Amino acid sequence: MKTEIPLSKPIRRFINQTEEMLDTEISLLRQPDADPGGTLVDVYTYDMEKNINVIIFPAQYVGLLKDFIIAKHCTNLLMKGAAHKKTKYLVLSYTEDSVYRGMRQIYIDALKDEAKKEDKLPVNKLIQMLFILFTHFNDDLNELPWNAIVNASVYHRMPRIRKTQLYHVMKESKNDMDEMIEQEKIIPRRYFVLNKAMFYARDMFLAKTLPADELMPVLNIPQMKKFNHLEVKEMLTTRWTQTAWYQSKVFGDNMLELVDRHLDNAEWNVPPTLDHYLELYKMGVNLSNHLLSFMTMKDWYVWGEPKHLLQANQAKGEYEKKALKKIFGDLLGES
Amino acid sequence: MTLKEAVELAKKGRAYAQRTKYREAMAFYNKALSIDPKFAEGWFLRASTLIDTGKPEEALVDCERALALNPNYADAWSKKALAFFNLERFEEGVLAATRASTLNGNDAMAWYIKGVCLDELGKSDEAQVAYGKSLELEIILDMDAERKKVGKS
Repeated sequence: MKTEIPLSKPIRRFINQTEEMLDTEISLLRQPDADPGGTLVDVYTYDMEKNINVIIFPAQYVGLLKDFIIAKHCTNLLMKGAAHKKTKYLVLSYTEDSVYRGMRQIYIDALKDEAKKEDKLPVNKLIQMLFILFTHFNDDLNELPWNAIVNASVYHRMPRIRKTQLYHVMKESKNDMDEMIEQEKIIPRRYFVLNKAMFYARDMFLAKTLPADELMPVLNIPQMKKFNHLEVKEMLTTRWTQTAWYQSKVFGDNMLELVDRHLDNAEWNVPPTLDHYLELYKMGVNLSNHLLSFMTMKDWYVWGEPKHLLQANQAKGEYEKKALKKIFGDLLGES
Repeated sequence: MTLKEAVELAKKGRAYAQRTKYREAMAFYNKALSIDPKFAEGWFLRASTLIDTGKPEEALVDCERALALNPNYADAWSKKALAFFNLERFEEGVLAATRASTLNGNDAMAWYIKGVCLDELGKSDEAQVAYGKSLELEIILDMDAERKKVGKS
């Protein structure tokens, strides 16, 4: 890595270690309009001309906020790289058939909900919603289990940036809670609850993993003062119980049990070898599979190479059209 | 007084630098500074680009020029600290970053540079204080940015 961007010692060391272990290069890129959580463009997911992975972060993050984003994406890269080198790196993808199964199930659940509603959803909106929800869960399932693992790993490996991590976790949690809220009345209850339950489980797991004593510096900020003397767990629980998604708690607690079962026994502090990151990757795959079973979505998605998902994304219009044709037959116009 | 033409040229240079088109940016800065060599911001902007292109020694010279014209130019002190850090002159980096953060207490970058330089000097406790201050400022800026974004949408 060659960069003019100032980096703290532990982060520089971590980047070098990642590059050495994976025999690859990491390049850092500041961008004014980058995603607040940063983006990783890696050689294991995309066809790249050179063996260089790029971590993109918002230009306004000049200090520890940037360091945390780098640590998070390096950990992710290590899991992907370990899987690629030692077995195969796979992601949750979808096929024409699996899209049909998923959309059909969502349609059946939507019909059940619609039957009880006074304000019915216009048919065209209902049809549009099927594939949107299907891909939404695909995105979330490709992100959420790994997010919990990455956060736990960074927490144990990088004690110096824990304060920054807490801020990120809180921010992410808030954004995830707000997700889908505008569609709450539209989408089938089951999916709203499941989506919130997944994030609830992740938050509760992280609240338990990240103790509150690291929170103090954040309390210097007036907006955060109201959380003084609260445990992170309490903070997150309070926020959840005050939201409209409280029903998600029942499902969320079950999901938390799943997350705990998979991640509680992880050895976060063992020497950082490729085998260790492969273990974390396997843990993520197992957790994803159990979450899929729990949500009865097991036949909605398939494990495939990242290229499979990229190709599926390219063909998604076609998949959606064919699934709709199979579900509705001739009832659906040519448009 | 800075010539209007130099200011305009520097503005164009900055726009190029933001898009990482450093060669074009340098051309505009050079032109601006040839028109008005007493344009402190021009020296500072050129120093920024020199750092981004891996030339910290030259950046240091430009920072000195900017500071000779305006000794209280906080951003130039901050950039000078960064140049020292990249040159692994950590003690001087701490001094320049301290000066920058004294002149502008809200400069998250200056506090961060102070932290990384102190860390390199093995002064871990002092580094933590500087990192803490830098983080506090970054979070406030980030929350403001979020609020603005919400307000816009």
